[in-house]
Amino acid sequence: MNYSHLFFAKLILALLVTCSTNVTAAPDQVRPLRVVASFSILADLTRNIGGDVVDVAALVGPDADAHVFEPSPADARRLAQADLVIVNGLHFEGWLARLITASGYRGPIVVATTNVNVRRGRGVPDPHAWQDLRNGRIYVENIRAALVNARPAHAASLNERAEAYGAKLVALDQATRARFTAVPASSRRVITLHDAFGYFGAAYGVEFLAPQGWSTDSEASAANVAQLIRQMREQRVRAVFLENISDPRLMLRLVREGGGVIGGTLYSDALSPPGTAADTYLRMFEHNTATIIKAIAPSAATAPRATAGAP
Amino acid sequence: MAARLGGRTAHRRALGGRRVGARIGATVTTSLAQVRNLTVSYRGRPAISALTGSFTTGSLTAVYGPNGAGKSTLLAALAGRLAAANGSIELPAAVRARTAFLPQRAELDRTFPIRVGDVVAMGHWARAGAFGQVNQVQRRATADALHRVGISGLADRLIGEVSVGQLQRALFARVILQDAPLILLDEPFAAVDTTTTADLLGVIRQWHVERRTVVAVLHDVAQVRAHFPQTLLLARKMLAWGATTDVVTAVNLAQLRTMAEGWTLAGDDWREAVAV
Amino acid sequence: MNLHMLLIEPFVEFGFMRRALVACLALAIGCGPVGTLLVIRRMSLVGDAMAHALLPGAAIGFVLGGFSLAAMSVGAFVGGLLVALLAGFVTRVTSQREDASFAAFYLIALAAGVMIVSLRGSSVDLYHLLFGTILAVDDAALILIAMVASLTVLVLALIYRPLILECFDPAFLRDSSGHGALYHLLFLGLVVVNLVAGFQALGTLMAVGLMMLPATAARFWATEIWSLALLASLIALLCGLGGLLISFHGNLPSGPAIVSLAGVVFLVSLVVGPREGLVARWYQTRRTHSLSTR
Repeated sequence: MNYSHLFFAKLILALLVTCSTNVTAAPDQVRPLRVVASFSILADLTRNIGGDVVDVAALVGPDADAHVFEPSPADARRLAQADLVIVNGLHFEGWLARLITASGYRGPIVVATTNVNVRRGRGVPDPHAWQDLRNGRIYVENIRAALVNARPAHAASLNERAEAYGAKLVALDQATRARFTAVPASSRRVITLHDAFGYFGAAYGVEFLAPQGWSTDSEASAANVAQLIRQMREQRVRAVFLENISDPRLMLRLVREGGGVIGGTLYSDALSPPGTAADTYLRMFEHNTATIIKAIAPSAATAPRATAGAP
Repeated sequence: MAARLGGRTAHRRALGGRRVGARIGATVTTSLAQVRNLTVSYRGRPAISALTGSFTTGSLTAVYGPNGAGKSTLLAALAGRLAAANGSIELPAAVRARTAFLPQRAELDRTFPIRVGDVVAMGHWARAGAFGQVNQVQRRATADALHRVGISGLADRLIGEVSVGQLQRALFARVILQDAPLILLDEPFAAVDTTTTADLLGVIRQWHVERRTVVAVLHDVAQVRAHFPQTLLLARKMLAWGATTDVVTAVNLAQLRTMAEGWTLAGDDWREAVAV
Repeated sequence: MNLHMLLIEPFVEFGFMRRALVACLALAIGCGPVGTLLVIRRMSLVGDAMAHALLPGAAIGFVLGGFSLAAMSVGAFVGGLLVALLAGFVTRVTSQREDASFAAFYLIALAAGVMIVSLRGSSVDLYHLLFGTILAVDDAALILIAMVASLTVLVLALIYRPLILECFDPAFLRDSSGHGALYHLLFLGLVVVNLVAGFQALGTLMAVGLMMLPATAARFWATEIWSLALLASLIALLCGLGGLLISFHGNLPSGPAIVSLAGVVFLVSLVVGPREGLVARWYQTRRTHSLSTR
């Protein structure tokens, strides 16, 4: 009897050992790299570069505002199990440091804005660097380097994908530049609620006016709103754009009083949900460009406008 | 022993008087509030047990007893604020709707921005309804009431600016305006100066002359003896109920004390029950 | 910069300033008396608690209807009243006091509200619920605020006497007529409806500020209820006006500017108010002291 017990024990032990060694001895390179990106745009970039090699999740998803994001325990769990974390940096994610500490994640953190030419607005660095496609290429480079570092076996395919995607960015950048140059400079003035388009404006020659600072958690002052309305009237800025993450009422008020027109929705800090117009970085850019051009180009000048100064 | 019997005899006489009166048909002394085997509980314990008796119309009765005797509870039950656990109080509906009740420590907020005159005028609202117009007649009645209690000049003062005694006078004036057939006063002279007490006793006397039924809880035996023709001695159970001269005797008072020593309950619980 | 440019010009030039001012006027008319009654009934904290209790109702309205004024207002009103009713019921039926049952229910409501919003949308939506902006008052909101102000004045004029009676001596009212609960409920309804109007314009937290601060400040100046209410409304209006101008010339956010100004008025009243202000009391003690030493 004792011997048969011993035999079974050894059998089970052997099974366990083989199973566990199968799991742990399997090359890390086989399973996808678990990447957690801080927000949807970074997630999209990572997916495009990584392909099958990576399994990407975003903390701040589509249509969500990273400035006022409040992490949940599920986010902490996701972070704990991640192999690589990609963040924007430049104080875009104010809540991240605490979340990382809380989750116990100790792996590498890639700051996508490394080596980016940082723009300063109102005295502080502007984090929305991805709004300039040239910066987008720097993002891609940083992400590529990190992925290759984590999965050297796939370096070839990663580099190839990064190259291809980079080429798309270059093409889009040039196309965008061309489209905006075609529009007379005096028309290239628009209004959004949120100062997220500093880089975009600087890169493509569009002036963005906004009644608030670039984070949604500061409230508008009457002076801001008044100044904006004055500008709208004096400089005849007509296109006003809503955003997918803010209160539309203030925008509507500006339109009524400044004599402008709602040009559509722009996507600044987040992609739109999958299956909609701005669900990838490239599509977001194309959508924003198209929407702006449509509103400010001469053909749109004949569109009906609200009377200026309406109460 | 004899005195105790005397008490009971007095009680029977009180009831018998009514029956006799009814039979002879001379003076009709009717019972206004008939209490039958009344038991009122507070937190599961009986505050009053099996109280039976009646308040004749127009009587002026003092309720006297030791602390925790259920005196305030009785008044609250008469006023309709507490429900009986057992037994009943029979009161004509018209009287029940028009009972004036002055609770013990009136929990009035002295910082409330209201004038003495307005507080007194609330007595009108009890009768005319809160939406009734305040007309000349009522204004004069208010002035009269203020005069009767001796605070004519204080109508415009805020209630936070007058003394405790003056406020009590104002509350009495409010009761005057209520024109109630049944008036219940729970320790009306507690913490009030002697002048005010004397003046207010005068008001009570007037009510008695006007044939209103008045029941007052008192803690001063001398006052009871001097001003109240009827007395109910209460120590959770009725000890005696009848004419003061018969009921308030040294023996009965001693008996009250003995009954009180038998309790283990702290006195404060009972006050809280009635402050509702 | 002359006085005209300072005070009048902003309102002449900009429609949004005019609308904001009208909104402040309407809010002041409603919040003044309601806030005063809350203060003298010693229910000052109920205002803030009730503002939080509005949240789940507004959140449900938002989930169902987006930034629709009607949806959020109706939801907030129903939610707020529900909390008031539940708290009142529990107070009556158990031995719990009103403040404890209110605290319990408003906290439940607040947690529920936050949960509903985070399940459905992002926290920025919640933020916009909590902090509206008076600079974006649209026609619908203006009409709502105006209606609420008129309703408040009308109802208060109608039930003034029984309401005061119920505030001052509820036991007396109960003995006389027994409808005390009804008036109490009507009053709470008015509180809720004024807060609902206020939160559309200023956000829930700021709306409470405009309701309570002028009323508490007024106590240092006036004694009668009607004069307290009037003064509270006046202070609220002037703070609205002043706050808007400060926001305009000083480039500060409008809601906080208005309420901060009300706070300043309160502090000043505390010090120099003739009724129980600090200076008045000091002067009083000095006088009695000098009288006694004569």
